[in-house]
Amino acid sequence: MAAATHSPSSRSGVPADPFITLGVEPGFEIDLAALERRHRDLSRALHPDRHQDKSAGARRQALSRAIEVNEAFRHLRDPVLRAEALLRHLGIDAAEGQEPKASPELLMAVMEGRERLAQARAAKDGAALSTLAAEVAGEERKTLAALGEAFADARQHPSEHRDRLLDLLGRLRYQRRFLEEAALIEEELF
Amino acid sequence: MVLLDIFDPKAPPKPIGIDLGTTHSLVAYVRDGRPVTLTTCDGTALLPSVVHYGEHGSILVGAAATSYATRQPERTLQSVKRFMGRGAKDVDPEELGAYRFKRPESEAEAAVVRFDLGQGRSVTPVEVSAEILRSLKQSAVDQLTHVGGVVLTVPAYFDDAQRQATRDAGRLAGLEVLRLLNEPTAAALAYGLDQKKNGTFAVYDLGGGTFDVTILLLDDGVFQVKSTGGDSALGGDDMDRLIAEQMLVAMGCTEPSTRTSEVVSIALDAARQAKHVLTDEDRVVVQLPKRGGGEASYELSRATFDSMIQPLLERTGRVCRRALRDAGSSASAIDGVILVGGATRVPRVHSYVEELFGQKPLGDIDPDRVVAYGAAIQAELLAQASDEVLLLDVLPLSLGIETMGGGVDKILPRNLTIPAGAKSVFTTYADNQTGFEIHVVQGERELAKDCRSLARFTLKGIPPMPAGMARLEVAFDVDENNLLKVSARELTTGIEQHVEVKPSYGLSDDEVEQMLIDALDHGEEDFAARRLVEARVEASRLLLATRKGLLDDGDLLPAEERRRVDAAMEELEAAVQSAGRAGVVQLKLDALDAATHDWAGRRMNRAIQAAIAGKAVGEVEKDVAQAEGVEAHLERHGHRAGDEDTKEAR
Repeated sequence: MAAATHSPSSRSGVPADPFITLGVEPGFEIDLAALERRHRDLSRALHPDRHQDKSAGARRQALSRAIEVNEAFRHLRDPVLRAEALLRHLGIDAAEGQEPKASPELLMAVMEGRERLAQARAAKDGAALSTLAAEVAGEERKTLAALGEAFADARQHPSEHRDRLLDLLGRLRYQRRFLEEAALIEEELF
Repeated sequence: MVLLDIFDPKAPPKPIGIDLGTTHSLVAYVRDGRPVTLTTCDGTALLPSVVHYGEHGSILVGAAATSYATRQPERTLQSVKRFMGRGAKDVDPEELGAYRFKRPESEAEAAVVRFDLGQGRSVTPVEVSAEILRSLKQSAVDQLTHVGGVVLTVPAYFDDAQRQATRDAGRLAGLEVLRLLNEPTAAALAYGLDQKKNGTFAVYDLGGGTFDVTILLLDDGVFQVKSTGGDSALGGDDMDRLIAEQMLVAMGCTEPSTRTSEVVSIALDAARQAKHVLTDEDRVVVQLPKRGGGEASYELSRATFDSMIQPLLERTGRVCRRALRDAGSSASAIDGVILVGGATRVPRVHSYVEELFGQKPLGDIDPDRVVAYGAAIQAELLAQASDEVLLLDVLPLSLGIETMGGGVDKILPRNLTIPAGAKSVFTTYADNQTGFEIHVVQGERELAKDCRSLARFTLKGIPPMPAGMARLEVAFDVDENNLLKVSARELTTGIEQHVEVKPSYGLSDDEVEQMLIDALDHGEEDFAARRLVEARVEASRLLLATRKGLLDDGDLLPAEERRRVDAAMEELEAAVQSAGRAGVVQLKLDALDAATHDWAGRRMNRAIQAAIAGKAVGEVEKDVAQAEGVEAHLERHGHRAGDEDTKEAR
């Protein structure tokens, strides 16, 4: 058996648009505090705790809508998932593997980064690990800013910006995975 | 037996909270806005989680049972919480304990741990826990007369199997389980509502057998869990085992053959007492019986004890650091540390936590009672369907499915806010394949075999198709109790798949029902009577809630629908009065449910609009026309005459 996709819950089998679920203006730059408030407000109305006294059917409805809201929130909070949702919203297929071939310069950076990570791990070098993580975190910040700009530009003619957006998304995915791995190694060693 | 337990609005049943702990259990309720513990059968608030099965069928719970611990250790079961949701394979043969386990005779039997009581009797951890819960329920009934639903607490790090087992124990004890609540969250709820403090808090919960750490954000009635971590096999009992190991050597019992249940039980009991003494004293000297006669003197200093438990504490430290990272927080960002669980009274634990978080833990909480208080508060809030408090908890362990190569495909990552759900689409690999199996696991490891196996879901009834054409959408939903539900649909035909669940652990619904029947004196008869009472109580509750709902949102019901709802309510009332079987009442309950289905959706839309607009639901009357949503709006304008009726009916 092959699992094709994992997607936020929705009623029809098509991934629900998290922007619509939460009633948020689609965009990459997002006010996280406002998003949290919106999530909380919706949770107040939909959380199963509020519907304890209702019939089984009403409780099921509330539960399924609460799940949708939580899933939508999770997708908008994480920049990679948010970018993916936004791309879907713009009609661009953003599944992994759809990215245009990575530039040689990016590939080199990826390989170097991985080597340094492996070395730091083998040598149990905490300082090298921290330095490396800080560098990549800096790169991640730049990628996030670039994505914000690219999405803003893409509003009018999304398909024209497809390659650039997918390239930036690819970088972001790599950078975040790298930081996760570095965190795991740190946990493992210390 | 009291048959008539009809819901009387003037004396409503009192909801209660129960902390089912490894070493002690408590029951509490809210009186005049404050949580209070009830007196247990021992006359105290804390009931030892110990059950003694007498040779002639008697069952003792609490202090009376504890007195048999060293005399009849194999019939006196303690700390069974550690075995909830566990199979025979999970038992560590090296670990010190006075239990005698029954060797499983079949694959099915191996799914659940069984304690051998001798004379052919054996019990499961669920049954033992049910005895404790039954005792607490009786205490509650004795003091409150009418007992409503119960909120049962569980360690935050309990997986699905352990939670299901806890819920089964509740059902077996005849309790209506309203919610399974995580212990650290319960503690934070009690503390937060009492102290009215806001900020980011860490709850460090070290109980008898389990360790949890939860990072929460408290913000004016909102309790949002950011992350949770733990170890469901780490607690005060492990400290006892370290000491007991040394004591056994002093007693001359180094060989496994010398370590009978009685001997081990004596050592564990002495170890626990020594640990308690070291809370206040710098050293303790214990006289122990020596093998071959006479006595041995065993001395333990606090300094030695502290170094013995350091590795255990470091394990908790690693878990705390990960939880902080998962929460995107750090020790310096924590505004307060709440200590929960008896083991946090050990001075070294207290100082270790202070070092870990760089601050003194908060002092104004009773670590033994705070969880029960939180459970009682949540029970009260649920019974009122209150919106005063918003509790947002998380999934503690990732859920995934086993892939072809034995790896794990993560579907729901840990620390996801619950309720949560995700869908996966599968396809068939052979022509005309009509079924297949999905193995669901829980945990953070890479390989499925290293994770907790939850269940195998078999999907049947897939329409015959060429390989790769079927689109099987499997929905994994985790509800507010942190329990998993699986459902499946074949997308090309839209057929709801029959999903058979074969749990890897524990009892099926049928087995629990059979145990309930067996436990009652008149078996089937009493069971049916109990079901009828439960159905009538649920019906009365629903009728009351529906009437209240009509007062608030009756305007969302066009005349025709309203008539159907009124009719369904009348039929349900009639059934409550005269029905002889639960099934009849259930039918009418389902009918009312169906009649109010669409209305429920509209009410939810209104609540959402109100929430987004930042207003309380009641204030929204004037904006109804805009807030209702398209459907209701059209109905209003399409049914002029009906409109007037609806208004009048309010």
